[in-house]
Amino acid sequence: MTEKYFFGGSVNPITCHAWNKDRSQIAISPNNNEVHIYQREGNDWKLMDILNQHDLKVMGIDWAPNTNRIVTCSVDRNAYVWTQGEDNKWKPALVLLRINRAATCVKWSPCENKFACGSGARLISVCYFESENDWWVSKHIKKPIRSTVTTLDWHPNSVLLVAGSTDYKVRIFSAYIKDIEKQPTPTAWGKKMTLGQLMAEFKNSTTGGGWVHSVNFSADGNKVCWVGHDSAINCVDVNTGLTVVKLKTEYLPFLSCIWITPMTFIVAGHSCIPLIYSFDGTSITFVGKLDESQKREASGVSAMRHFQSLDRNSRLESTDTVLDCIHQNAISWVAIQSGTKEHTTKISTSGLDGQLVIWDLTLTRSMQNLKI
Amino acid sequence: MSKNTSSSAFRKIDVDQYNEDNFKDDEQENQQLGGIDENEINQLLATQKNCDALKICLENAPLFSKNQQAKEQALQITLRVLLSIKPSQIDSALEILDAELIDTLMKYIYRGFEFPQDGSSGHLLQWHEKVFARAGVGSIVRVLSDTARA
Amino acid sequence: MAATLKPYLTAVRHTLTAAMCLDNFSSQVIERHNKPEIEVKSSKELVLNPVIISRNEKERVLIETSVNSVRISISIKQADEIEKILCHKFTRFMMMRAENFVILRRKPIEGYDISFLITNFHTEQMYKHKLVDFVIHFMEEVDKEISELKLSVNSRARICAEEFLKRF
Repeated sequence: MTEKYFFGGSVNPITCHAWNKDRSQIAISPNNNEVHIYQREGNDWKLMDILNQHDLKVMGIDWAPNTNRIVTCSVDRNAYVWTQGEDNKWKPALVLLRINRAATCVKWSPCENKFACGSGARLISVCYFESENDWWVSKHIKKPIRSTVTTLDWHPNSVLLVAGSTDYKVRIFSAYIKDIEKQPTPTAWGKKMTLGQLMAEFKNSTTGGGWVHSVNFSADGNKVCWVGHDSAINCVDVNTGLTVVKLKTEYLPFLSCIWITPMTFIVAGHSCIPLIYSFDGTSITFVGKLDESQKREASGVSAMRHFQSLDRNSRLESTDTVLDCIHQNAISWVAIQSGTKEHTTKISTSGLDGQLVIWDLTLTRSMQNLKI
Repeated sequence: MSKNTSSSAFRKIDVDQYNEDNFKDDEQENQQLGGIDENEINQLLATQKNCDALKICLENAPLFSKNQQAKEQALQITLRVLLSIKPSQIDSALEILDAELIDTLMKYIYRGFEFPQDGSSGHLLQWHEKVFARAGVGSIVRVLSDTARA
Repeated sequence: MAATLKPYLTAVRHTLTAAMCLDNFSSQVIERHNKPEIEVKSSKELVLNPVIISRNEKERVLIETSVNSVRISISIKQADEIEKILCHKFTRFMMMRAENFVILRRKPIEGYDISFLITNFHTEQMYKHKLVDFVIHFMEEVDKEISELKLSVNSRARICAEEFLKRF
């Protein structure tokens, strides 16, 4: 039902991962300056290539499905666009991000002719290929970002961009590049769409605080969900006014969120278990847990183990090293493994425990009630 | 000029604080300026309505207030109410509170730990245990992350 | 007295679990640096509210959290002069060897006896719940250790005095 993988026998955290179009290959970063490309062979993964152009930790990877290009960004303030040569090896092309702090996140636009890169320089670089000079250049969205941009996502029209930052705010910008694109048609978020135009701004919390860890546009681009460091889940629907619907949960903060149907999304984070929530425009409701692992049996032999552990550690409660869930440490990255945001059938999660887990949503009990 | 050349004080100036992109606090609208009415609370305490007193305290907590004195005063009153509720009454006191007020309550419990007097910490630890059982670790996360402090 | 120990440690455990949600975070002030924000405090939005948990007037824990690091400072019970000296010697012994304890800070925060500094690099290498266990375990043990030391110092002193007074 769920597939669990470690890559290359490594227990290093997986910072981020991205799939190619047919999901036969995956790009992961093992918490250092390298990006590893693995090819799936049955139940095994074969290392195809190592992209080691960065000299500091890689923070973001995105794989454009149709043009088959990988973009990576790193703490060394650079981003590279990788293209596959005849010999199946990947060749880098440097992007002029023009930033002087770490690049933190990167995302291809849905039409794949440009990408956005957030950074610790308190700005977003929107990058596109300039064919006259044969290089990738960038334009900046700067105001009014007051702190590190931690997360980004594109509207399906490839013009609007939602960004979350550690200044406790979520903002929607226009990232329209007039040199390479036609005039965009207005959306529900607004008409005026010059580059850097602030379309909407939301505070993470009415009681202040909470760094934004992840943002996501729904498939139709009319809804945005985000998660922050106050353990809350937030949604906005442009059609029901721009009021933030907030659900404060009893869990640890979430680090990632992604829409899986027009109404439901998955969140995952420090609590190690992915959760499903649904949003109907006015309220957020809990649907179910993805990880349905049972507590390991607590009788027979384990009773002995229980007392042994009490004896050994002279502790009043016995907490073993292994947690009662699949991921053993925080989940930092969630991606769609098969399907689209409209209808996702499998998602993949990776985290600090170095595991990649693929979850089949059609088999999850709580999802079957949803009939996606 | 010649006098100053040997001075190294200028090296220690924190120039980063003048960066105009630096994070600034939002200008919070001064909501809930009213604060807690001490007389009302005293009356409720005198008539043994401690749980209602707690609810009123939390509803009127001046979390957004910039006035430090008002916050201190509210803290003292709330702590008095908290400590007047017996451990056996805690469960019934929590029943009438909604999630928002539970979060506020958790903020006051943590503030209460900063001023340990005879036995108050032990009492607050029981509060902490009960509130945690109700609202989970999320309420502690919000004590840490919310900029609106008790 | 012992009745408050368990709730005290439970409260600290839950608070640590909440506080230890750390992330990798590069400095937004100095390029290509990555420092514990709780120590450098370069941007105030990256530091969370500090909290204190106290068991009584003397024993308390200060937990300060930031985006990529958490600092835990413990004030250990010291009932009399001997315990004060023992506590000082004991913590000093540990802090002089701080690199062997990985998460120990070389100096305690003012007003406390011993401090730990846990960064995202620690939570990446070690299980978070085990780190929490370690701190709790330390808090349990240090009280025990100091009262044992005190007992042995006292009994040694008694033997010395006995031997000395035998002569008269």
